[in-house]
Amino acid sequence: MAIPRSFFHMFRRTLSLEHCLYALVLGVFFLLITSPLIGLGVDLLYAALKGSLDLSTPLLLSSRRLELLAASIGLATAVALAGIVTGVLFVSLLWRVSREILVFILLALLALAAIPPYIHALTWSSLFGSLTDFLPGLPTTGWGISFWVEFMALLPLAILLTWIAFASVDHHLVEVGRVFGSDMDAFLHILLPLSAPALGAAFGLLFLICCSDYSIPSLFGADVYALDIFAQFSASGSSAVASLYALPLVLVTVLVVIASRSGIRTLAQTPDWLSVRFGTAPRFPRFFVGLQVIACILILVQILVLFSGLVFTTGNLTTFIHSVSVAQGELTYSVLIAAGVILISLPLALAAAYELKQPGLRGAVAWTLVLLPLAIPASLTGIGMILFWNAPGPSMIYPGLLMPVLVSVARFAPIAAILLFVQLRFIEPLLFDAAAVFSPGLFETWVQIRLPLHAPGFFVAAGILAVLTLGELGATLVVAPPGHGTLTMRIYNYLHYGAAGEVAGLCLMITILTLIAGACTIAVLYLLYRGPGRTVETGGKPE
Amino acid sequence: MNKTRTIQVLVVIIVLTVILIAAMVMLPTDQKKTVVVYTSVDQVYSEPVFRDFENRTGITVLAVYDVEATKTTGLVNRLIAERNRPQADVFWSGEFGQTLLLKNESILAAYSSPSAADLPRQFRDAGDYWTGFGGRARVFIVNTDKLSPDQYPHSVNDMIDSRYPGSTIGIAYPMFGTTATHAAALYSYLGTEEARNYFSNISQRQVRVVDGNSVVRDLVADGQLSFGLTDTDDACGAVETGKHVVIIVPDQKPGEIGTLVIPNTVALIAGAPHPVEAKTFIDYVLDRKTEDSLVSSGWIQIPSRDVLTKTSCMNITGIKTMDISYQDVYNGIPATQKDLIEIFIR
Repeated sequence: MAIPRSFFHMFRRTLSLEHCLYALVLGVFFLLITSPLIGLGVDLLYAALKGSLDLSTPLLLSSRRLELLAASIGLATAVALAGIVTGVLFVSLLWRVSREILVFILLALLALAAIPPYIHALTWSSLFGSLTDFLPGLPTTGWGISFWVEFMALLPLAILLTWIAFASVDHHLVEVGRVFGSDMDAFLHILLPLSAPALGAAFGLLFLICCSDYSIPSLFGADVYALDIFAQFSASGSSAVASLYALPLVLVTVLVVIASRSGIRTLAQTPDWLSVRFGTAPRFPRFFVGLQVIACILILVQILVLFSGLVFTTGNLTTFIHSVSVAQGELTYSVLIAAGVILISLPLALAAAYELKQPGLRGAVAWTLVLLPLAIPASLTGIGMILFWNAPGPSMIYPGLLMPVLVSVARFAPIAAILLFVQLRFIEPLLFDAAAVFSPGLFETWVQIRLPLHAPGFFVAAGILAVLTLGELGATLVVAPPGHGTLTMRIYNYLHYGAAGEVAGLCLMITILTLIAGACTIAVLYLLYRGPGRTVETGGKPE
Repeated sequence: MNKTRTIQVLVVIIVLTVILIAAMVMLPTDQKKTVVVYTSVDQVYSEPVFRDFENRTGITVLAVYDVEATKTTGLVNRLIAERNRPQADVFWSGEFGQTLLLKNESILAAYSSPSAADLPRQFRDAGDYWTGFGGRARVFIVNTDKLSPDQYPHSVNDMIDSRYPGSTIGIAYPMFGTTATHAAALYSYLGTEEARNYFSNISQRQVRVVDGNSVVRDLVADGQLSFGLTDTDDACGAVETGKHVVIIVPDQKPGEIGTLVIPNTVALIAGAPHPVEAKTFIDYVLDRKTEDSLVSSGWIQIPSRDVLTKTSCMNITGIKTMDISYQDVYNGIPATQKDLIEIFIR
């Protein structure tokens, strides 16, 4: 049978260097992020075929588990909503702030977000404990304090995400709105609706993080579904059983993230994220200014409580130096892991971001594959990684130094892909076409045109990746190579020992490291891309 | 952007990649003689033991530690997941339940250590799949500012006594860690029905169920709770740092059940990559001198043999222990945990 000529044309087009590279990078991305799922899936299948799996118990939701699920959803919804509302109020204040101050605020928030949530919980618990002497009715257990601490722990991340959402809106549209109506009208009817899809995505991410966390609620005696999964995992010792128990929570989180996904896909196009907003300062009604002040106070209280708690608990410089010096190995390894995750994730995530942009079934499949790993509990991801990488084929990787990097790539590269996808929608595609026509070669096109255009997205994604990787515990602990640990593992070890001074010292160190890393990245970006017409320097401001 | 800038970007990317690779390579990984030890013993206690072993034998210990926050799902599940291609040589646990689970899952290999010759018989598995030594006891930690000596609790039944409001008492989640083992021991001793009523009562009284034994200790030491059930190592930590607390060993009166003593257990992993070094390490850990040093560092309060160092934070002379078999306790753990999940996680 004769093969049509058009098939060969299509085949040759597909085989171009650029397409091959793209397919390869994309393949590696999807392999890395789905490797835990593949491992868990094969284990589940094996257990089912062996007949050692009782499917009825985990899949049938008893009233107890339904209540736990409802409680988890309720807590996560409340925390995510409170985070977004506070974020919206606070970020609306940054309307006229200069880029230098904006960068400083964002760096400070990034540093706060890098502190493990459990430390936030202990600081607040200690404060509430000491306040009960003066305020006897203050709750020290239950849902109220669980909500408050979870909200406070996620507040820095919520503000960062809200800032991304607001920065996604073309501010020219808002300025036009301000000409024809009040600032409040422009805020309510232009800025909020245009940023709503990205705010929805931020809600989804916060919901997901909160839903999979049991450490804070269990510290305050509030039981959530994630704790039940761990209890079943602990009782059975079977990842297959734990996977089945996790299924309802996975389903809920997938639904929420899919809903957020449709929001992200409808984002409007806009020039860039770090641009300076020009125009006159907005004038909001008094009630709204009052709400903004409350949001500011909340953030200041959080910063004050956390830092004063850490500084007071550390006690003196000697304790700080001692805690850092004994954890030097962990410190170095943690920084290397974070750097490795950023270096591996960003190019892979960029390819995935292009794939997420695809219409129809292809895009839907890509979205499903990107979102699914986000819904898997951390320790199950770790076990899935072992089941996948400890197989005879890829066994040279496990249990090497790269495993904690790969596990964080598996958990967080999808988030980087979504962030880069959001940014990709802001870039004018004609610029890429022009580059393809006028640039002398593929490499020059990438370095001179594409990288500078992607730089703000890379910066934001790198920051979020570093924060999430530095705080990761559940999955890293399961795959950490013998003889090596991370800073978070050391912190949790100290916590059990009751060495509060050392724990606080190490948390301060994480904060300082994040600030330094952020400042260095900004400095490098500035040095590399300064010059006429560069986005990072001019911020889109006409020269 | 000109060509110079292209080269600058390229150089930055190359430098970053080279630094990362160099740093990863420079981290020590390939010592000639190594032993991989997975341990749930706190790093602050086990690390000095590893360093001393390295100094004496020249064998490098590559340790993987567990942390309380992962609810014991960490190392044991990792060992089970690695069963087809084991990476660990030795499992050293701070209790026995998880070790017996691993034996049941065929993860362990038999090894009879010469260092275990002077250990009491109950500390050795019949098939030599594990060996136990010095341990910790389950005790009450009591805040002396909150309770006077005549109010101190003396039995686990005091946790359900109406004299003490539930909200002033603390216990760690009984599905995890040593509290799970203690719960299984109570199920084994009291029988399922009585034990279930006991724990249901604890739950209904709204006794503060917290994230771990160290949290119980901290809440009592801070005065947020009057007393709580914890392990001796945690309680001793608070005593030694000068907190206003006292340790009470429960159920020591005639006719009472005694307290649970939980030994350390050490076991060889089946198919261990470094079996010779693993046996050397097991011999070292089971040595009387190592037990002595662990008493001295505060990890062990109830030694299994006569050792020179005496526990200073509490009087351990004549402690009455629960008369139970480790195997019976282990056999009951799955059903107990299932029961307790239903009672406590809701």
